[in-house]
Amino acid sequence: MNICVCIKQVPDIQAPFRIVDGRLQFDVERYVLNAYDASAVEGALQLVEQHGGTVEVVAIGPASVSETIRKALAMGAERAYHIEADPSDWDSATVATVLAAFFRDRSYDAIFTGKQAQDTDAGLTGTMLAELLGLPYVSNAVGLAYENGRLIVTRQGDAGREIIELALPGLVTISNDMNDPRIPSIRGIMQARRKPIEALTLSDLGLSPEQLRPRTRVTGYRPIPPRASGRKLEGEPAEVVRELVRLLREEARVL
Amino acid sequence: MSTYLCHIPTQQERPTRAALEVLTHVRTLARRDGARLAACVLHPAADRFVEALKPYGVDQVYLVKHPALDRHLNAPVLTALAAVFRAAQPTLMALPSTESVKDVLGALAARVGAAALPDVSAFDIGASVTATRPVMAARVLADTEATTQPVLVSVRAGTYTAQPAESPTEPEVVEVPLDFDTATLRATLREVITGTTGQVDLSEADIIVAAGRGVRDEAGKQLVEELARELGAAIGASRAAIEAGLFPASLQIGQTGKVVSPTLYIAVGISGAIQHVAGMAGSKVIVAINKDPDAPIFNIATYGIVGDLYQILPLLLEEIRRIKAES
Repeated sequence: MNICVCIKQVPDIQAPFRIVDGRLQFDVERYVLNAYDASAVEGALQLVEQHGGTVEVVAIGPASVSETIRKALAMGAERAYHIEADPSDWDSATVATVLAAFFRDRSYDAIFTGKQAQDTDAGLTGTMLAELLGLPYVSNAVGLAYENGRLIVTRQGDAGREIIELALPGLVTISNDMNDPRIPSIRGIMQARRKPIEALTLSDLGLSPEQLRPRTRVTGYRPIPPRASGRKLEGEPAEVVRELVRLLREEARVL
Repeated sequence: MSTYLCHIPTQQERPTRAALEVLTHVRTLARRDGARLAACVLHPAADRFVEALKPYGVDQVYLVKHPALDRHLNAPVLTALAAVFRAAQPTLMALPSTESVKDVLGALAARVGAAALPDVSAFDIGASVTATRPVMAARVLADTEATTQPVLVSVRAGTYTAQPAESPTEPEVVEVPLDFDTATLRATLREVITGTTGQVDLSEADIIVAAGRGVRDEAGKQLVEELARELGAAIGASRAAIEAGLFPASLQIGQTGKVVSPTLYIAVGISGAIQHVAGMAGSKVIVAINKDPDAPIFNIATYGIVGDLYQILPLLLEEIRRIKAES
């Protein structure tokens, strides 16, 4: 089975940042492989380890994205494609359009994406890509198996876990609840240095600026309004509990 | 006249509360802008929901009836929503941000050529559609704008309050035929494994009792369940509690799980990692019970109790029962 995983480089969401004039400013520019995409790479590697095949990855971004690509190669992907572009003003629709152009002349049994990116939390690109390519898909996958030429995908739905048989070729968007991505070994990191990264430009993909026009944009960032400062109740447990119930009834009026 | 359209998911013979919240807000916008308020229901027996929408002042109801819509599967839902979209020609379509909606939103936007603003915590229509989105695991708010029309917006549960209109309407009912052959399905549903039958649904609940890492065994789980039962609350869990194997994954609240905003959220043994807080920070009143006085959950809690849940919960149960007996 040949799988291509779409990966994104994102700012480390745990890193300290400030908002200056509506723009996000990180104290230290630290970028990582989107955690959901790391789970997608891990899921693909596990399938291929059991059933044979190859895992490739594709990423969009400036030169600095190669660091994230190397991470996926060090985990075990065999080859990578780097679509060189500055996607800072793009939305999910633009990213999906570019990826669709990339996949149009390539043939994989399955395309994996993370179910969302940690920075935007939008969760649109995967299913947009499936639609643009006319592929059947399953989103928010938490389990994967391969049976008789089909993927058996468990997805977390509203009512419970849905077990879905997905004919191939197909697309799966993957939750970080599926697995714990492996930490690359020293050997993996050494090998990754010799693995091929093929660079592509937007004109290689036959894309015009017109097709890249986003449909949405971010006009600015704001801090989350702080919650009114709460109250810590201290003292003897039975008294504290009595006070809590009183506050919930008389002050907050929620009981 | 432009049309604002709401997708109304249903549950147990009723529109979901999250859907009615969105509908209420869109009604306000439609009345202000002189737009038509339309709703759509996808269900094998969609007719039976028309009655429940009348008090909400809808002008038009689009119904898609097809056996394939009995349980969620993205291909038929997507085809049905796209058919309604083409029939209604809305400038705006609003949907509650459920897992089923997340499953189709991107694909629907691509199919009908719409801009998509997902998982918003507020939105408005002016010269363009603008929306506020919590991003970076809800550590910051992004002000966003659609630069093209039409626009799809999915709205977090609890963002607005569901409220009937001043006067009910007699909506025009439009049935949209669905040309969908289930034999062509390339993704098929084998089964749905539900972990929480008979319990209160998380995204619809007024009160949630949520368990975290501090709930470390069956005894702790039973205390949480007892408290939920006593309060008529739904049970939720942090990722840590689910990984410990005590609660099913369908109960997960957080950046990757459900986003909830109940009136009362009782966090039991939850430290308050940002991924968890991303899913519950919109709750009106938050109670935190945790042994660790430095747990970050106390920074967002309305009321915090520093203490051992195994000691506090039995006392809390006792006090709630006492109050109930008195009233």
